[in-house]
Amino acid sequence: MGVRDEQKQATRERVLEAARDLFNDVGYEETTIRAIAERAAVSVGSVFTTFASKAEVLSHVMERRLDDLYLEFDRVLPYLRGATADRLCSIFAIHYEFETRRVKLFLAHIAASYSPSLDPGVKPYGRNQRLTDMLCDVLAEGVKRGEVRADLDRQLAIDVLKAVYAWNYRMAASAGGKGDAAAMSAAMERQILAIAEGWRPR
Amino acid sequence: MSFVSVNIESATDSPVKLTRRALAKQRTRERVLSAARRLFSERGYEGATIRDIAQAAGMSTGAVFASFADKSELFDEILTADYEAICAQMVQAARSGASADEALLGLFGVAYAFHLEQLPLLRAGIAVSWTHSEAAERKSRSDLKHIFRLIAEVMQRGVDQGQLRGDIDLKLLAEITWDVYVANYRRAVYDGWTVEALLARLSDQLKIIFAAARA
Repeated sequence: MGVRDEQKQATRERVLEAARDLFNDVGYEETTIRAIAERAAVSVGSVFTTFASKAEVLSHVMERRLDDLYLEFDRVLPYLRGATADRLCSIFAIHYEFETRRVKLFLAHIAASYSPSLDPGVKPYGRNQRLTDMLCDVLAEGVKRGEVRADLDRQLAIDVLKAVYAWNYRMAASAGGKGDAAAMSAAMERQILAIAEGWRPR
Repeated sequence: MSFVSVNIESATDSPVKLTRRALAKQRTRERVLSAARRLFSERGYEGATIRDIAQAAGMSTGAVFASFADKSELFDEILTADYEAICAQMVQAARSGASADEALLGLFGVAYAFHLEQLPLLRAGIAVSWTHSEAAERKSRSDLKHIFRLIAEVMQRGVDQGQLRGDIDLKLLAEITWDVYVANYRRAVYDGWTVEALLARLSDQLKIIFAAARA
């Protein structure tokens, strides 16, 4: 890596870190690119040479966080035990535990997912392929173990689970941005059990 | 979520004879609301300032503040008016569906059709609902109860008519149904799905959600 690339990389890191803190502490809408630049101690111009928009910054902040989370999952997944529904509950509980550490960031991420951005660097909530793949594996495994109907439309079931998972963050939104991971996981568990009851082979 | 806020139970009978001043005030309100609706649609909630709205309505910011306490009150008023406009249709669709599924698709179909016509405003409403204050959230939460009551009514009828089992957790299934209904708007926003496509998807999702509840 040349000196210039290294500098560029360092700027990027600083911007993402500053943005993560400001989005969570001050709020996404309230945070300007100028404020991010100031906190990161870089020029406004250099933020814009790295990212097309604030939406893109948020997207990259989230992606960066997810990289960490999924590294953790790679470690944990082989050790998941229990019935299919229990495994799903564990996966979502870990997500809640992780996201509630900076829950306002995640609320902004969900909010942004309803406002399309034309910037190619933006990846909205709901397009997280790793979560989808993980859930798909658990359901496929469930079919093998005879706990899930073979003719279940798994993508559709995953769609429903992800919608429910996201909506449970309303609890954090209504508490003024204070996320209670245990309460959210408990709600998700009831929802998963209700849905899982329907995909049991008969 | 505040885009379904309602005051449907407040009776608006007994027409009041408006004085000239009251009429002028009413016209000002309407001008502000119509300018605000346009700007919120074009720029989103955060992007439209009271100053912009006043300018678009051809009046001073002071005149806007004489009618509305702040921007969020103005925005809520627009969403409430929209909900009131479709509420009666949703109730009718819910009651005329032959089965619980049909009734649910009917009532959500009304909402999809209405909101797809003005998607930018819906997007602004959803974005605000995820980030707005605690007080606004409490208000919208109590507003949501109307929709849930309607869904519960439909499902209870499904139980009474023997389509759904009597021992199911109606409230839980209503919640899940609502969650997927809202999430589906992303398909309209990103992928340009039509009302028909959304309803076809919802219909499939209902099969998953209600699989264990079928009698």
